[in-house]
Amino acid sequence: MELDKIEKLLERYDEGETSLAEEKVLRDYFLQNSVPAHLKTYQMMFRFSSQQANEKLEEKPKVRHSRKNWHTWSSIAAILVVALGIFFFNDSERMNYNDLGTISDEEMAYEKTKETLAMISQIMNEGKSDLVYLKEFNNTSNKIIELD
Amino acid sequence: MREHTFLNIIDPVKDKMYRMALRLLTSKEAAEDATQEVILKLWSRKEKIKHYANVEAFAMTVTKNYCLDQLKLKYNNNLRIVHQNYESNSTSLQSEIEVNDEMEWLGKIVATLPEQQKMIFQLRDIEQYEYDEIAEIMEMNQTAIRVALSRARKTIREKLVKKHNYGIR
Repeated sequence: MELDKIEKLLERYDEGETSLAEEKVLRDYFLQNSVPAHLKTYQMMFRFSSQQANEKLEEKPKVRHSRKNWHTWSSIAAILVVALGIFFFNDSERMNYNDLGTISDEEMAYEKTKETLAMISQIMNEGKSDLVYLKEFNNTSNKIIELD
Repeated sequence: MREHTFLNIIDPVKDKMYRMALRLLTSKEAAEDATQEVILKLWSRKEKIKHYANVEAFAMTVTKNYCLDQLKLKYNNNLRIVHQNYESNSTSLQSEIEVNDEMEWLGKIVATLPEQQKMIFQLRDIEQYEYDEIAEIMEMNQTAIRVALSRARKTIREKLVKKHNYGIR
């Protein structure tokens, strides 16, 4: 195959105008070893595309026992377990509304509430006492501003 | 349709589907999963497949769409590692290394192309499909495909020339 013919084909190849048969001619030409230096890049491209065609899917395609199937069955099983669980252990009578720790005596309830609130405020005050140090920040920053 | 018949239909296409997925998703694992997933999709539609004139083109379209969806979902965001093992048939170690290096470069260049050009280059130059088949797979018209292909080929070569010149100087 003469070089100028190849070059003409390459021009059309670049424009996307060559047919498969013409591209086969080019591929065959470039896959044999010696080409002029200015066509080296074409040779690399044709080598690349013919080499990439050798990549194969290694694992066998499966259509049964798929992950999707497994998902369906496991979700059905999970729903069954939950449904049966609700069905068998649903003894709501055990729940007793009379025993929630409510104090019936009014005065005692008042005292208990006061006690609880006092405890909360005491803890709050203890926590707040640590915040006194925050004032130091204001002091120092004010001094710097005064320098100005 | 029986499982056996279905697998016989899929068999000649499965490598092409895998290569297409590999081109788009880069990682071998992701490409294998994608191919497997698409085959399952086709299997679930096996009754309809009989009525398609070109099952191969249909399988490729499904693969293409599936991979693009995966990319869109950023599903494999953390799998963007290049896992390509290039085989070489040359004998001497030196030239083997050189060739592998060049091929790796080409792989990287192709990876920088826009998705559409990548796919069209894959379908034409690697899988050697006719333009009307590519049009069917890509759901585009033939003129647009020729334009995209021409751009892809020119870009690849330009980048190769650039790399080559840097290598010399």
